[in-house]
Amino acid sequence: MVDEKPLLVMQDIVKQYSGVLAVNHASLSLLPGEVHGLVGGNGAGKSTLIKIMAGVVRPDHGQILLDGARLDLRDGSGAYRHGLSFIHQELNLVPYLSGAENIFLGRPYPKTRFGTIDWQVLNRRADEIMRGLGMRIRVDVPVGRLSRGEQAMISLGRAFVGDARIIVMDEPTAALTDEEIRSLFRVIRALKARGRTVLYVSHRLGEIFEICDRVTVMRDGSVVGSYPIGGLSQSEMIRLMIGRSLGEGMPSARNRSGRVFFRAEALAGGPVQGVSFDLREGEILGLAGLVGAGRSEVLHLLYGSIRPKGGRMWMDDKLFAPRSPAEAIRAGLAMVPEERHRQGLVLNRSVLHNITLPALDRFTRRTCFVNRAAEHVAGQKLAQRVQLKAASLDQRVNQLSGGNQQKVVFARWLHAPPRMLLLDEPTRGVDVAARFEIYRIIRELAATGVGIVLVSSDLPELLSLADRLIVLREGRQLAELPTAGMSQETLLHYCYGEVPRA
Amino acid sequence: MREGRLLRAIAAPWTRLTRVQSLLWARKWGTLVGFAALVIFFSLLRPSVFPTVQNWSNIIEQVATLAIVSVMVTAVMVTGDFDLSVGALASLAGVVAVDLMANHGVPVVPAILIALLVGVVGGAMNGLLVAYGGLSAFVATLATMTAYGGAALLYTDGATLFSGIPEGFRWLGQGDVAGIPTPVIVMLVVVFLAWLLMEHTVFGRRLYAIGGNAEASYLAGIAVQRLRLAAFVLSGLGAALSGVILASRLFSAHPQAGNPFMLGAAAAVFLGATAFREGEPHVLGTVLGVLIMGVLGNGLNILGINSYIQSILTGVIIVLAVLISSLSRRR
Repeated sequence: MVDEKPLLVMQDIVKQYSGVLAVNHASLSLLPGEVHGLVGGNGAGKSTLIKIMAGVVRPDHGQILLDGARLDLRDGSGAYRHGLSFIHQELNLVPYLSGAENIFLGRPYPKTRFGTIDWQVLNRRADEIMRGLGMRIRVDVPVGRLSRGEQAMISLGRAFVGDARIIVMDEPTAALTDEEIRSLFRVIRALKARGRTVLYVSHRLGEIFEICDRVTVMRDGSVVGSYPIGGLSQSEMIRLMIGRSLGEGMPSARNRSGRVFFRAEALAGGPVQGVSFDLREGEILGLAGLVGAGRSEVLHLLYGSIRPKGGRMWMDDKLFAPRSPAEAIRAGLAMVPEERHRQGLVLNRSVLHNITLPALDRFTRRTCFVNRAAEHVAGQKLAQRVQLKAASLDQRVNQLSGGNQQKVVFARWLHAPPRMLLLDEPTRGVDVAARFEIYRIIRELAATGVGIVLVSSDLPELLSLADRLIVLREGRQLAELPTAGMSQETLLHYCYGEVPRA
Repeated sequence: MREGRLLRAIAAPWTRLTRVQSLLWARKWGTLVGFAALVIFFSLLRPSVFPTVQNWSNIIEQVATLAIVSVMVTAVMVTGDFDLSVGALASLAGVVAVDLMANHGVPVVPAILIALLVGVVGGAMNGLLVAYGGLSAFVATLATMTAYGGAALLYTDGATLFSGIPEGFRWLGQGDVAGIPTPVIVMLVVVFLAWLLMEHTVFGRRLYAIGGNAEASYLAGIAVQRLRLAAFVLSGLGAALSGVILASRLFSAHPQAGNPFMLGAAAAVFLGATAFREGEPHVLGTVLGVLIMGVLGNGLNILGINSYIQSILTGVIIVLAVLISSLSRRR
């Protein structure tokens, strides 16, 4: 039934982002009429590979072949013209437009004789598409008024305009209810029966086993291999996803018997529901979980940058309820946020200005004038402490490499060491050398008694830095574990929501 | 043959500049060069009138009020916001000051202080709407511009106030200190204070940080909303001060007298943002922007070109300046 001649081949794809390899000589081939799974840990390169396939990102190297012919994609709509269709993780809907308009966005709208949009035909076709998906959703109301699940189905519908030969689904079930997932699977099976090809990307391994014929495993930007689903167990799949051995030179200095100075009880807010833990001085507490599990949000709850819906915190046995980062900072917290460019740095300003950003009032003469000499001296000292490599302190921070930018964010909190440091993916997009320097900074701070809460998708990093782990899944606290003796495999089993049998 | 070599030798340092370097150069100095070109152009065409001490003191006196409001609006634009209401607020403050003196017997100084307070309150209202009400600065100040303008008209019933103004009010707009007109002195003081505030205080540095990246500033513990509010208060204060000086210069209060400040100030800040630094508003740049517009207006007047063409040219110059600076930044 399945024709063995591949329909689409991605050959030797390479993509770098500011010196960091996101995709490293990856190859992938899709057969006609198959449902093909794509799995890999956070940051394994799945999303980048799909963006390259969609023509949204241009690869540095490699090519895509469709029916054996080289495919040149200039932009997203080019892929559509070649019969490729994409359902992205983010819904990408325009809330003011109707479901029908969203479904046909960027595609030719049906026209009347006078060249105006034929709304009747448009709505009818959209309705047909949704009914083909087994959905009864009104397509003539603004999608902003639909429920999240209905919106997800509308964005699914988009992929079925025209007659796509290959449909790529990136975490399509993230926002769906069980029932909606059932109907999605029915649709996928119907597509397959019609000889269409589906590339199915998901963190939910159970779904992969249920719906896919073959699966490709990625790890650290490379393709580990493609396997028929029948020949693979879930444990084997997880093992393939990890692969990387614990990085050498990552000693794990296990602490520690510092005093408990912070407690959180039943924290809730955003997607987070009922997270409790305590933190000792000098301890590194890791937060593990998949993307979307609510790890960053826990940090923002501690930092006062997300409004809590419930729960309480104590610092030194005094109730602690920061209403803003400014209050949290006054209480001795500090944060290295996840997205350096959006949340960490003022990119058009100098290295020095970024280092002194939160502590500028330390360098004042007569209360409000900045003492530039004192500021410069302090900046110099901090830059040295994090071993910053910059032409000068006056260099604009956007001219630095990712690793050095991250060191600038660290340096900013070392004027007076915080009591509690919140780290969100501290080494993402950081080259190896800078990465080890950042590990050194983290360890030094812990050794001086700073309590650290660390979010990282890099499992070896998490396991070697953290003393203790909390595993989150869909906003809930699944387990609290010591890291001593834990393998990546066990941890990943926890993240995927199953407690491994002893 | 020889001439050719000589020519090449002269041109060498220039041809060696890459396209990127020349763009960077244009970005940094282009606006100042444009200003110089404008001055030279008018000086050559009217050597006996334009480049004289008399004419330059004229120009500076002319632009003093616009300079005051513009450098204060710069604070708002540094944070990435916008203030459309300064013109209406200037009109309102002028009307309030004159009415209090002329019709209610309030002495000159308290009347001026109350008018300035009107500016502070109006600016604070803008700031509250934008920073705490979550409105876009454009929408909020468009609305308050309309409302403040309406208030000024309502206050005077649309009429110009010119009778019963105490002579003591004349000094602010028409007097002088040691031969220097009072508005120029006020302008110099305001420009100096604004420059000090923006470039040398913690407050100013934080405003720049907010303009560069508000979220990163917030996560670094900066009270973003409070500072945005403060910037609007400064802008309102500057508008009121200009409005009062203008009323004194004209020795009357027209409920729409200050309205042109809105476009003038925006133009000055945009022009200024293209000078010296990369598209970032700053006080000295704004002063340059004000001077460019002052020189352009004065020069074209001397040449006898009508004011409608002046408006068109001002528009063209703003587009050119911003275009050059954004083209050079695109890489």
